[in-house]
Amino acid sequence: MYQYTEFDRLFVRSRAAQFRDQLNRNLAGQLSDDEFRPLRLQNGWYVQRHAPMFRIAVPYGELSARQLRGLAGIAREFDRGYGHFTTRQNLQFNWIPLTRSADAMDALAAVDMHGIQTSGNCIRNITSDAFAGIAPDEVIDPRPYIEILRQWSTLHPEFAFLPRKFKIAVTGATEDRAAIGWHDIGLHLRRNDAGEIGFKVLAGGGMGRTPVIATTMREFVPWQQVLLFIEAIVRIYNRYGRRDNMYKARIKILVKAEGQKFIDAVNTEFANILEHDVGGTEHLIPQAEFDRVAASFRLPEGVVETTEAAPPQTDVEPAYARWLQRNVHAHRLAGHRAVTLSLKRPGQAPGDVTAEQMEAAAALADRYSHGELRVTHDQNLVLPWVRQRDLHALWQAAREASFATPNIGLLTDMIACPGGDFCALANARSIPVAAAITERFSDLDELYDIGDIDLHISGCINSCGHHHSGHIGVLGVDKDGAEWYQITLGGSDGSTLSGHAVPGKVIGPSFAADEVPDVIEAVVDTYRTRRAANEHFIDTVRRVGLDPFKTSANGVRRSTATAHAA
Amino acid sequence: MRFIETRRNPWRTVSGEDGPVVDLQPAPNLLLDLAQWHAFRAQWPNGMAVGVALGNDVDVEELAPDLPRLSLVALSFPKWVDGRAYSQARLLRTRYRFTGEIRATGEVLVDMLPLLQRTGFDAVVLRADQSQDAARRALGFFPGHYQGDVQDRQPLFAKPEGTADALVKKAVPEFVSAGEGI
Repeated sequence: MYQYTEFDRLFVRSRAAQFRDQLNRNLAGQLSDDEFRPLRLQNGWYVQRHAPMFRIAVPYGELSARQLRGLAGIAREFDRGYGHFTTRQNLQFNWIPLTRSADAMDALAAVDMHGIQTSGNCIRNITSDAFAGIAPDEVIDPRPYIEILRQWSTLHPEFAFLPRKFKIAVTGATEDRAAIGWHDIGLHLRRNDAGEIGFKVLAGGGMGRTPVIATTMREFVPWQQVLLFIEAIVRIYNRYGRRDNMYKARIKILVKAEGQKFIDAVNTEFANILEHDVGGTEHLIPQAEFDRVAASFRLPEGVVETTEAAPPQTDVEPAYARWLQRNVHAHRLAGHRAVTLSLKRPGQAPGDVTAEQMEAAAALADRYSHGELRVTHDQNLVLPWVRQRDLHALWQAAREASFATPNIGLLTDMIACPGGDFCALANARSIPVAAAITERFSDLDELYDIGDIDLHISGCINSCGHHHSGHIGVLGVDKDGAEWYQITLGGSDGSTLSGHAVPGKVIGPSFAADEVPDVIEAVVDTYRTRRAANEHFIDTVRRVGLDPFKTSANGVRRSTATAHAA
Repeated sequence: MRFIETRRNPWRTVSGEDGPVVDLQPAPNLLLDLAQWHAFRAQWPNGMAVGVALGNDVDVEELAPDLPRLSLVALSFPKWVDGRAYSQARLLRTRYRFTGEIRATGEVLVDMLPLLQRTGFDAVVLRADQSQDAARRALGFFPGHYQGDVQDRQPLFAKPEGTADALVKKAVPEFVSAGEGI
């Protein structure tokens, strides 16, 4: 993984010093809360229901065991002993008092981490495929390119106050596991017919109130020019994106409104940068810089392809067999596997980890994965460098540490935002809904029979729980001060299983909180009745349409029936 | 970065009490709005210092042909979190090679200074309640940056080898003296 240089370290410490100055001015009454707000947001400090939330960047989801231990230390020293992994591969703390924020930033800087641009109307932390660098279907490892993009976007002076937040996702594999169509900019690394490396560039995707799938800007931008092409897109957005209405300020609205004119403007701007600007070509990425950064992403020392025979996977304990089936993934290196540590288990919110669990995961990473981990978009952890022969021992150790729930990709491996329990924006709580569904579907045989399914839960229309892209989406809405939930079906993140990225469709009026598990069950039962042989949930929904699901979902209305009758 | 104090500011705007001024006479150091400039540019004497104040929703391209005649372009921040003027300044400098003064006006806060400096502004009118000391301090936190900007066009990766290390040594003096006792 990327190794910080002394400059990188100094830069992060400088940012902490700058923030401390701003914090001190705020505490001394020289900087108003309103004016401090955008400054703290750009460092990840987001005032929540109970305390500021501190969102920490995990660039493209790569995390070392040492960093995870550092995070555990912060959880203990500054927070209430736990954190929450997000759909954007970041980590959030919930209980750090603002007066201690600068100290927490220093502690973070000590393990080469920061919260820069994890919030605010700027280019956010860049996300990627959690299996980058290890997936068998990878064409080009995206990590060096993303690191160069990360550095370029960090404290970019022209793009610190965009109309709205700006999210970039990158993949280098055949399958899109980074949901690039749902991002403000989506980048797909590919080779052209001449074998040269470049990016297919999409722009204008996003969730929120108006879900939009990104539009292709260019089929191929040579990798050397990608910073300039992105600069062109972001500049057009900075100049012409709407600022009069927060709900219409994302780039998706501009792209949708302008269509081809937007693409033309980007192309003209790109040509102008290259041909007319003083120093316009300075940001062409030189081979030497690529090589310098790529050197960080060589195989960890000691990782070599092995031809050792795979250990038996049949005739093993059923629980182990299940774990092998769901939590263990193919690897590009022979003799190796990637293993998901499930953060979806009864008794804890999806993505939540205690300080002890962080340390346990760090220990597993040290013992089995060369000290490296990944945070996934589905809010789990992955050990990327596991030897095949270690799988059984790892399974036992993961089980001890509560990470071995064999549910990856299944209904209980759901995505959920922190919701109304923590978030000041939320209309409704997510965690109790997630807990009720987890409890309802606690039978593994049943879960396996239901098979692959994406259940995504957001506590409000800001869509942090990506409800639009769930095969089943649950969206918290507020009606007369009560919590209600809108259910959508048929959404897709763009993965192979789910098909082209598309938002799900609403199946009717919202449901009361206590009806949600029944609705999910009714919808799932409809699938089980209607499915063809070996047909996944999403495919059945597409084939039979929404009506049978609506009928069964309406059949479980109790509180809503009463409310509507009254 | 120059800090413009209102009482020492030689530039005067021209505005009538009831709408646009019709009897404007060219005089040195007038800061005109775009409409005024368009109305008078044909008869504006060559060599007489003139500035134009642009709204942040104006395309700087409109001003490009006139830039050699202007001493000052004032760009505004109606709200400090509205970042359009950063792009305007950047374009004025790098695309249209404007060498006169680019001044930030409106809601200009201390913490914008690094961004202003790096996108090509060289003068600011701070909002009245802002501290110049804090503004100067705001310019000094970083040893360097990753991406190039108007002030320093080269990104860190395009600079000669060893630049990043040199920046670290400059910023952290103990690194320099380390080893002196050996």
